[in-house]
Formats: sequence, structure tokens, C-alpha cells
Amino acid sequence: MVFSVVISITNTYLSMSVDVFCPSSTPVCGAAMTNALELTWLLFLVITPHAKGHSLPGKPTLTSCRSPEKETFTCWWQPGSDGGLPTTYALYYSKESSDIVHECADYYTAGENSCFFNKNDTSIWVNYNITVVATNRLGSTFSDPVDVDVAYIVQPNPPENLSLSIMDDKGWPFLRVAWAPPRKADTRSGWITLIYELRIQVDGQNEWETHLAGQQKLFNIFSLRSGGLYLVQVRCKPDHGFWSEWSTASYIRFPDYFHREKSAWIIIAVVCAFLFLSITLLLHMTCHSLKHCLLPPIPGPKIKGFDQHLLKKGKSEDIFSALVVSDFSRMSSSSNSEDPLVEEYLEVYVTEEREAMLEESKSHSGDDSFKLESSASDNDSGRGSCDSRTLLMEKCGRPKQHDGDRGEDWGEAQVDAVGGTWPPVFTSQSEQPRRCLSGCLPPSEASKYIKSRSDVNIAASGHKQSPARWSVEYVGTRMVAEDDVAVSRGCSQPAPFQERDYSRVKRVGSDDTLLLLQRVSEVATNECETRTSQKSTICTQDATLTSGYVDTAAILPMATN
Amino acid sequence: MKRVSFLVVMLAQLLLSVASAPICAYGQTGCPLPTLADLFDRVMQQSSRMHGISSDLQSQFEHYLFPSKNMLGKWKCHTHDILTPGNKQNAQNIDREQLTEVILRLLGAWGDPLSQLHQSMRQDHNKNHGRDFSHSSSNKALEMSDVMQELRDGVLKMAEKMKLQGAFSNAVAVVQPEEARHSSAFAFYKRGTLSLLDHNDLLYCLRRDSDKVKNYLRILQCSTLPGLEC
Repeated sequence: MVFSVVISITNTYLSMSVDVFCPSSTPVCGAAMTNALELTWLLFLVITPHAKGHSLPGKPTLTSCRSPEKETFTCWWQPGSDGGLPTTYALYYSKESSDIVHECADYYTAGENSCFFNKNDTSIWVNYNITVVATNRLGSTFSDPVDVDVAYIVQPNPPENLSLSIMDDKGWPFLRVAWAPPRKADTRSGWITLIYELRIQVDGQNEWETHLAGQQKLFNIFSLRSGGLYLVQVRCKPDHGFWSEWSTASYIRFPDYFHREKSAWIIIAVVCAFLFLSITLLLHMTCHSLKHCLLPPIPGPKIKGFDQHLLKKGKSEDIFSALVVSDFSRMSSSSNSEDPLVEEYLEVYVTEEREAMLEESKSHSGDDSFKLESSASDNDSGRGSCDSRTLLMEKCGRPKQHDGDRGEDWGEAQVDAVGGTWPPVFTSQSEQPRRCLSGCLPPSEASKYIKSRSDVNIAASGHKQSPARWSVEYVGTRMVAEDDVAVSRGCSQPAPFQERDYSRVKRVGSDDTLLLLQRVSEVATNECETRTSQKSTICTQDATLTSGYVDTAAILPMATN
Repeated sequence: MKRVSFLVVMLAQLLLSVASAPICAYGQTGCPLPTLADLFDRVMQQSSRMHGISSDLQSQFEHYLFPSKNMLGKWKCHTHDILTPGNKQNAQNIDREQLTEVILRLLGAWGDPLSQLHQSMRQDHNKNHGRDFSHSSSNKALEMSDVMQELRDGVLKMAEKMKLQGAFSNAVAVVQPEEARHSSAFAFYKRGTLSLLDHNDLLYCLRRDSDKVKNYLRILQCSTLPGLEC
């Protein structure tokens, strides 16, 4: 109506304007004018109807259809252009292999431009052919049909009740994430099967760590840093379908377990230090020097009463007096306890001649002569006296014939102790009358040797007869019966036939007497008589044969001036 | 001589070992039989596998053909006459025995069509040498056929065990699906000349039926053995 009015008015205007602009009514001017006007009118016509909206509605499009639990589903569409007229939308569907067309029963539950299919209208494993129709006054427009099988359009709601907890695994904490399936999805009956996925990130950072949890509703995460704030989300998906949205995030702060770790190390360090200290203390207490403990020194020569300085001075008298000290007994008895390396005793042995004498005197039994039991000679004794580095030692080479050997020259003594050489302690024969342990002439035929024996440390020992630990040093002593002088004899090269008896000196008596331990030989009789020229000796048999020696009461007088 | 004696000893040992540990043939006594839960697990795995293969087959065809093709349209699957529960309500109302029967019928209905499909695909492959998908599809069809057969046997065993354990309320013997009805199932999909389109429809139906089977088995499992799994 309006349109026709406009046309008539325009026509009138056109004719009027032609008359105005082309006064001469030339046909050209009139035609041109008409054309221009018509063109303008046409343009006008074209533009204006759009503002007015009289057309068919635009084509709607079905955007998606989704089912949250495989029991109901909803379809949404996008309306097309509005034809300028009020448009209504309708959804029609038909089921597979059925020609009946149904219309959507519920347009409102799911919101605008949607259609909700309730349980009664929903069939699974059935093809739905769905179409949306937009209708206005002018007509309708159909959308493209869409085929939907509800079994394959399932998109569940996100999982619910997401819970986080810190659990303990032998001192190491870990995170346990637990959740429940969405309320509507029926997993209990097996109608729907869901698989889950969770993701975790440190709060603030943008990196997610995702874990696929399968069908379980529980998941443990071990690889978390102590002290961090974490947020966790979880989602689910049916075996053939779409992933749900991520659930709302849950936050948790992982505890600081570094302290426990640290304290364990501290404890270990303390214990180790304590052990170390105790060990060092122990070592220190037992050995005054570790070196001494680990590498015990080789014992050096130790003869009690020996004074190096005196030797150096050269006064043999003093030396001897120092050596043969009155408290020898004390020293000898206590020597073992004091210093196990030092043992002092005097070995006395008697030669064959002397033995014969002794035998004779024994038969006489009343003699004051000094007697000694003959015993098997000790191989060790006397032999090496030539070679040993001992105090009061004479160089070998002396013949064994003592008879009338006064003029014997004792010679130099070989003294070669550790740390120094000893001056010769043997003097010439002329100095015989003095008391001497050495250097005295053996006036008698029978000679008795008193040997002092001490254990010495010989650094480089060529000593043959010494036992494993000790080496024996001999002091050759010659006893002159008549003179009551104990002489020492240097080189004792006993004749091979000679037998020697040795007596160990147990102690020295108060008036310079020697208490001997007599050795018991296998063949010899037990009785023994040892007598000095001065005193009689009583030989007693000691039951304790600790070292094969019989404790004798033999007392040898020490020659004194 | 030594060799002979050694051989004798070996043989004796072998015989003894064989005698002591009998090889478990189906149904022999003395062999440890799987539990119902184990059977269910195996069956579920198998059905998943089956569904996977069918999905692959169909997607391959879809990829090859234009994607906007309407599914089936007016057509039906050849198993349309098997009444299957179409929603949760029906599925929960049905008995376990009936459900098992439905499963077996579905599985039985596909035996022949699958073998024929495989043959048809092989023919296609022979015709069109350059078609890669056809060859792999043909193999998949064969695999599908085997898997389905195995699944069917498994479900049968499971049904027997369920019957023994009294899971079925009615002591009705499980009906063997009728094979004769579906002998011409493959022909059902033929509409004139054999073409790829026919395969597509068949594959679509196959996929759907395998999904049904999987879902029904799951319902059966959760109904019979409720636990952490469900």
C-alpha cells in the first residue's frame, strides 16, 4: 500500500521535473531526465525493503546434540537470519526406519534454541534424523538434517567430590587424589563406563602434568616437590564419547619433608663423629704413641746397671761395680715385671775337669769344693761368645788349656753393643788380684764360667745361638776356686768334648753370694752339691722345673776386694 | 651305549613330566579353571577389541567416501529383528538369561556376513590393485571374523559357568542362536551390484552391534559381580 503510494508520487514528480528541467520539451532532454529519475527511484526501491524485513527466515543450523548419561539428550541449533518477521523454530525428528515424524516435546528445559529429549523419547542405538525449521510469515526454512545416534554423543558431566590427601609411604609422603563419578552417570549398573584423567600443576605456573587414570577413581602421585602449592583437576569420558569439562580445581600444599631428611643426616654425622672420637681416644689411651703401637721398636740392649758413660771413662772397676750391683736380686726378681725385654741371670757352667773334681769332692762329701752337676752342655752357651757382641767379651783364639795359663792374655774384649762399642774390660794378667768379672787369669785348671746373660737387642745379629727374640750375651767368667775370684773369660771356645754345666743365677745374696738355679740333666742325679770354697752349698731339688733348672741354694761368693 | 641310555633317561623324564602335569584340554578335570570374574574380564577385552576393529573399518570407509553420506537412511541392519533393549530401563528389566541369549544371537548373526565381507573385500582388492585401504580392510575383516568367533565361544563358556553358579534365576538352557536365518545376511546389504556403499552399510551395522554386545556384557558383569569394577 505504501509502496504504491510512493510509486504514484514518484511518477508525478518525474513528470513534473521533466517539465521543469526541460522547458523546450526536447525529446533528448526528456528521455535523459526520465532515465536519471528512474535510476534514482530504482535505487531507492532497492535500499529500502531491507530495512523493512520481509523475507523468508534464514536457514538454521544444528550445532550439537549431547547426552550426559546416555538416557536423555539435548540438541541445540543456531538460528539463521531473521527475515525481518517474527520467526518460530521447530524441531522435527524421525527415528530410523520409521516414517513417523515427531516434534520436539520440550523446548525450554535446555534453554533457548534447544530441544530436550526425555527418557521416554530417547532410544539408544537408533538413528535420529533431526531437522530444525524456522518459520515466519513468509515461509519456512529447513535446516540440513542431521543423523544422531545417542550412543555416540555422550558427554558426561565432570567428576565430583574431588578430594586430595597426603599419605605416607615409609616416611616419604605422596598425594592421593580421589573422586566420584558424576551424579547422573550410572556406572554402578554398567550402563555407562567412564575413564578418568587428572591434571596437576604448581600454583602459578602454566604447565600441567596429566595422568590417565583409566576406570579407577583413585590415583597416587609421587613426584611432587615439598612445600609447593598444587592444584588438581579431573575429567571423564565414556568409552566412546566426548571428554567432559574439567572439574573445579582443588588446592593442596605439599608438606615439607626436607626437615626430616636433614635431621637424619645430622644424626648420622653426630654418630660418626662420636665413633671417630672414641676410637682415637681409645688408641691414645692404649698406646702412647700410635707409632709405638703399630711398629714396636726392636728392644735394645739392656743390662741393668750398665752405664755407658762409665765405660767411656774407661774405669773398669766402676763399671763392674755398677754392673754387679748389690741389689741384683731385687732387679732380677722384679725385672720381669718391669721390663719384659730384660732378663738377667747368670749362667754358670763348669768344664769337664772341674766336673771330675766335683765328682771327687762329692764322693768325699764334705768338701767345700764347689760342685756342680754335670749336665748336658747347652749348645748355645759359650759357643758364640766369641762372636757375640757382649760386654766383657774376649776375642776368640784362646786355647783351652788353662793349666798354667796365668799368663794368658785375655786380650781385648769385643764389645759391640747397640749404640756403641765398649771399651775393653779385660786387662792384662798382671791385674789379676783385683776383683774382676773379666780379665782375670784362670789360675786353676778347672775353670768355671759364670756367664752373665742378658737379653740384648742386637740390631743386626749374626748371633747363631740366640733364640728367636733374644740373643745371648755371655760373660765368660772364670772361677778360681782358690782365689775366690770369679774371673771372666773372654773367648770361651770349649773343646768339643767338654761338657758344660750351666747354672742360672737366681739372685744375688746380700753378702755377694749368688743363688744359682741348677739345671737338671736327664742322666744326672738329682742331688747336687755346689760348694764354693768359702761356703757350702746346699742343693735342693725344686719341684718346679720351670725352665729345667733346679733351684739350688748354691751361693757363690762374689769376689770382693 | 652311553648315548642310548641318556636318550632313554630323557624320554622317561619327558613322559613322567607329561604324566605329572597334564596338558589342559578343554573340559579336563584337574586343570585350574578360570573364575567367572576372569571369564568376564577376557570377554570384555575381546569385545573391546571387536568394537575397535569395527570402528576402524568404518572410519576407513568414511574417510574414503564423502563424509556427508547419510547413514542407512531407510535401510535396516540385518539383525533388526533381534529384539534388543534400547534404553537403560529395558536393559535393567530384562533377565540375565535373556540378555545372554540376546548377546549370543547377535554374535551368531554376524558369523557368515563377516566371512563373506572378507571375501568380497579381497575380490575388491584384486580388482583394484592400487587400493591400499582395501587390503588392510580385508585383513581387518578377517581378524574381525576371528575375534567375533572367539568372543562367542567365550560367552558360551561364561554362560555355562553362570548357570552352574546359579546366576540365572530360571534354569533355562541358553538358546543357541539360529544360524539359518541369517545365511543370506550378506545378501541383505546387496542392492544390485556390489559396491563400496554396501560395505559401508554393513560396517555401520557391525559397529553398532558390537557396541551393543559390549554394553550388554558390561551390564551382565556388573549385575553378576558387583564390585570395584562397576
